[in-house]
Amino acid sequence: MSISEHEGPALEHEPRSWSGALRDWAVRTLPPEKALPDKQPSYVASWIYVFGVLSLSSLAVIILSGTILALKGPGWWHFTGIGRFFNSVHLWSVELFFFVMVIHLWGKYFMAAWRGGRKAVWITGAITFLVAIPCALTGYVSQQNFDAQWISTQAKDAMNAAGIGSFFNLLNFGQMYSYHILVLPAAVVAIVIGHILLVRKHGVVPPFKLPATTAAAGGDGAGPDAEVSAS
Amino acid sequence: MAAVFNLNHHASYVHWHFFQLSVSNLVVIVLMVIVFWAAILIKFPSHGPGGKS
Repeated sequence: MSISEHEGPALEHEPRSWSGALRDWAVRTLPPEKALPDKQPSYVASWIYVFGVLSLSSLAVIILSGTILALKGPGWWHFTGIGRFFNSVHLWSVELFFFVMVIHLWGKYFMAAWRGGRKAVWITGAITFLVAIPCALTGYVSQQNFDAQWISTQAKDAMNAAGIGSFFNLLNFGQMYSYHILVLPAAVVAIVIGHILLVRKHGVVPPFKLPATTAAAGGDGAGPDAEVSAS
Repeated sequence: MAAVFNLNHHASYVHWHFFQLSVSNLVVIVLMVIVFWAAILIKFPSHGPGGKS
């Protein structure tokens, strides 16, 4: 009996290491062809499906420009031309992120994107939106200017009125800056990664089925199960 | 933006009973609604049934 005959199915019954078990679970849960598909269902060929990836693109620009701002500091982003440029890139990428994320949210809401066992996909998307709001707020109060002072005093009153003002202090720049560049962005990125993996696992939510008469009048002949190239 | 619009004044607000909204926020919301409907109504460029990109 050759050595190669010992390899294969017989070894699967032997005790496995935690890393092997974790790999088996990961591949079983999200096979490579699902994690990185090269085909998508035909119904994905619609502009409304573009806003998820636009949100991701905006988030990438936010992280990149924010990293540069964090490395250089407030003196650079307030008093140099290139610093003000990156400050503006960071602000407008956040504006764009919320703009396209809200449209993504509206689209998925009206598609009832929690159908077909996708409730975790919907929940992680909604939580991303909720966590992104304080992430942006702490950015406004971290500007180190009069605008930041005004927003932080107003937001402080709002937090106190809501009964959560004892957990953090919006007038504390160091604390808000830490929230803004570490705690909240890490949370947003982690939840977004989970959201994407869940989308890959469950697939993109299909549209509602049309009544037979409507489908016959306006159908393009391609059923929802038809596929198009993802690239 | 400041070169295009004169921002050296108080913000304009829309009031309706208890509801108050800045005009700039209202403009952004209207733009989002327009883009949302455009994304639904405008046909996506198709590669044909073969799916070749």
